[in-house]
Amino acid sequence: MSRRLVGSVAATLVMVLAAGCGGSSEANGKIELSLGLFSDFGYDKLIEEYMASHSNIKIEQRKVKMEQHNTQLATQLAGGRGAADIVALEEGVVSQFRASKDKFVNLAEYGAKDLKAQWADWKWNQGTADGGEFVLGLGTDMGSLGLCYRRDLFEAAGLPTDRKEVAKLWPTWADYAKVADEFTAKTPNVKFVDTGRNVYKAILDQTEEGYFAKDDSYIAEKNDKVKTAFDTAAALGTKKQTGALEPFSQEWNVALKQGSFATTTCPAWALALIKAGAGDAAAGKWDVTTAPGGGGNWGGSFLAIPKQSKHPKEAYELAKWLTAPEQQKRIFKETGNLPSQPKVYQDAEVQATVNEYFNKAPVGQIFASSAESLKPTYRGTKDSKVGPVFGTALTRVEQGKQSAADAWTQALKEAQDAVK
Amino acid sequence: MTAVRTRTEAAPAASVPSSGESKRFRLNSWDAKYTPYLIVAPFFVVFAIFGLYPLVYTAWVSLHDWQLIDGNQGFVGLDNYVHLFGDANFWNALFNTISLFVLSTVPQLLAALGLAALLDRGLRGSAFWRAGVLLPNVISVAAVALVFAQFFGRDFGIVNFLLGLAGIDPVDWRADTWASHLAVSTMVMWRWTGYNALLYLAAMQSVPKDMYESATLDGASRWRMFWSITVPSIRPTILFTVVTSTIGGLQLFAEPALFDPGFAANNSTGGSDRQFQTLVLYMYEKGFRLFDAGYAATVAWMLFLVVLLVAIVNFSLTRRIAGKG
Repeated sequence: MSRRLVGSVAATLVMVLAAGCGGSSEANGKIELSLGLFSDFGYDKLIEEYMASHSNIKIEQRKVKMEQHNTQLATQLAGGRGAADIVALEEGVVSQFRASKDKFVNLAEYGAKDLKAQWADWKWNQGTADGGEFVLGLGTDMGSLGLCYRRDLFEAAGLPTDRKEVAKLWPTWADYAKVADEFTAKTPNVKFVDTGRNVYKAILDQTEEGYFAKDDSYIAEKNDKVKTAFDTAAALGTKKQTGALEPFSQEWNVALKQGSFATTTCPAWALALIKAGAGDAAAGKWDVTTAPGGGGNWGGSFLAIPKQSKHPKEAYELAKWLTAPEQQKRIFKETGNLPSQPKVYQDAEVQATVNEYFNKAPVGQIFASSAESLKPTYRGTKDSKVGPVFGTALTRVEQGKQSAADAWTQALKEAQDAVK
Repeated sequence: MTAVRTRTEAAPAASVPSSGESKRFRLNSWDAKYTPYLIVAPFFVVFAIFGLYPLVYTAWVSLHDWQLIDGNQGFVGLDNYVHLFGDANFWNALFNTISLFVLSTVPQLLAALGLAALLDRGLRGSAFWRAGVLLPNVISVAAVALVFAQFFGRDFGIVNFLLGLAGIDPVDWRADTWASHLAVSTMVMWRWTGYNALLYLAAMQSVPKDMYESATLDGASRWRMFWSITVPSIRPTILFTVVTSTIGGLQLFAEPALFDPGFAANNSTGGSDRQFQTLVLYMYEKGFRLFDAGYAATVAWMLFLVVLLVAIVNFSLTRRIAGKG
C-alpha cells in the first residue's frame, strides 16, 4: 500500500511506456554494447574473452527475471528507447515479438542467412519471419525434453530405479499415468509429480500444432491433442497425485528440498533449477531418463537486435559469435544448456557428457536423442496469452476447486477472450 | 526572498511622500498576492507533468485500441468502457479490491488508534517502542511479501503448522477467496498499522492536558476520555489517515502480486481463479501480460474514479463519526 497521488495509478502505466534511458553509447572511444538477458545464459566468461579480443568494445550484461525481461522489453520497444543492443527472446514469446518485427533489425541485412545451416531447421525457422526473409533472432539453446525422477522414492514404491528400466515403464503418457497409480498405491504420502501443469505443457510440446494451426488460426477447442493433454494432466490432479505446485516457485523449491514429489518434466535447462532447489543433500538421488511420448521442445531462446540499437553491426557480430557452434559447446559443458545446433549436440564430447548431480546420467546422450526425434510445436502469435489460461485451469483442478470438465470449459472461454 | 528585499527598500522611502509610493504599494500587494503561488508552483508544475498529463493521456489511450508495443490501432470511442462494464473479471477485481481494502484498513486504523493510545501513556523506553512500531513500514514490501508468502504456505507454512497444533486442517491460503484475502490483509496491516499509530500519536500529544485533568476531576473513565476527548481532538489526523489509507488500499498491488507464486512466471492473475486479483493486478495483467494498453488504461481510469468516490464517501463518513464523539 503506498501513499501516492491518486493519478499515479494512471501515471504508472504511461510513465513506463516512456520509461528507460541508457542504451548504447560511446565512452572513451569504446563502443558500449548491452545484453538484455534472463536466468543463466552462461555468457560471463565468453564476454570477458570477447572484450579481450575486441579492444574497442565494452559489453554490459543486464540480467533480470524472465517475466520482468519480457515486460520491460515490450515497454522499451513501445517507447523507442532503453532496450539493450542485444535482447534474448524466449521461445514462448518469440512469436509474440515476431508480430512486432518492425521494431527489430532484420539480421539478414548483415548476412545472417549464410549461418542458417548451423541450426536445426525448426530452430532457425522459429527465429525468422516472412518465409525466412526476415531473420529476427539467432538461436541460443533449446529445451529438449527429458523426465527427472527420484531414485530413492521409486525404490520405496517398489519401482525400478535404473534409468533404462524406468524409461521402459512409460513409453506413452497413459503408461506414465499408470505408473502414477502404482506409485500412489504404494506410497500414498508422496506426490508422484510436482504439478499437472508441466505434464500438460510437456505433452502439448510433443505435438506439432497446439493452440494454433500452422496458419496461425486458433484451434484449441477442436484440437483433440490439447484436450487429451489437458485430461491426462487433470486426471493426475483429480487423483491428488500432483503437488499442485506453481512450477519453479519458492514452494516448488521447498518441496524439492523436502523430497515431496518423485518426478518432474525436465527440459535440459531445468536440471540446473532442480539442482539449485534440491541442494547438495539430494545429490545422486535425482536421475534423468527419456520422457514419455518421445521428443519435445520446451524453451530455448534467441538473440535479437532492437532497431533502436545504435550499433547494430557490432551487436550482430557479438550475437553471431555467442551463438556460434564453438561457444554453444562450451556453454553446454558449463551450464548444461542444450545446443540448438545438430553438429554440436552430435559432437562426441557433448554426447559423452554426464551430469554428476543426477547420478551421472548421460545427459548429452539423453537430450541429444530427444532433440533428434522432436517435432517442434507451432507457436501462434498469441500463444503466450492462451497458455497460462489452461495452466491456471489445471491449478483449479489440483486445488479441488473445479472438476476437470468445468475447468476445461472455463479455460476455453477465457482463451477465446484472449485471442479476440 | 523577494518579499523581504522589497520591504527593506521600501522602509526609508516611506517617510518621503512621493508618486513612487503608490507604485511601490502596488508592487508590494502584487508581491503579497502572487508570491505564495510562485512558491507552490513547482509542486503543481511537477504534478502537471507527472500527475495530470499521464491522467489525461491515459484517458486518451483508453479511447483507442492501443497495443503496448505497436501503439495506436485506431479510435474506438467508449468501446473499452462498454466492454469493461460487461467484464465479469473487472467486477471480480473490484469486489476483491473493496474486500481487501475493508479487511485491511478498518482493523488497521482501529489497531493503530489503540496502539497510539498505549504509546501515549508514557511507557518506559518510549523512543524504543515508537521506533519499533515503524519498523515494519521501513522493510521493503518485497521482503515482507516473501516472508508472509512463506508463513501462509500450504504445505510447509508456519501458519498451517500452528493451526495443525490446534487440530485445525491445513488451509490452502491461495485457493480460497476469503483465506487469501485474510492472508493479504494481514500483510498490509502488519506494514501500515505502526505508521498510522505514529501519526495518531503525534496528534494525541498536542491535545491539551488540562482537558484530561478536568475530565478526571469530573470522574470520567479512561474509555470515556479516549472517545470524548482524544478522538475528537485528533479528528484532522484521522481524516488524513482514512483518505490516504483509502487511496493506498484501493491501489493494492505488490502484496497480492507477490503472494501469487504465478506472478514470477508471467502468470499473474492473482490466484488460479482470480481469488485475490485486485484492480491494479487486473490492469497489470491486461497491460503488461496481454499487452492491451487501451483496456488497461480503461481499468486505470475506472480505478481512479473508484478511489475518488470511496475517498469522498469515507471523508464525509469519518467527519461525521469523529465529529459526534
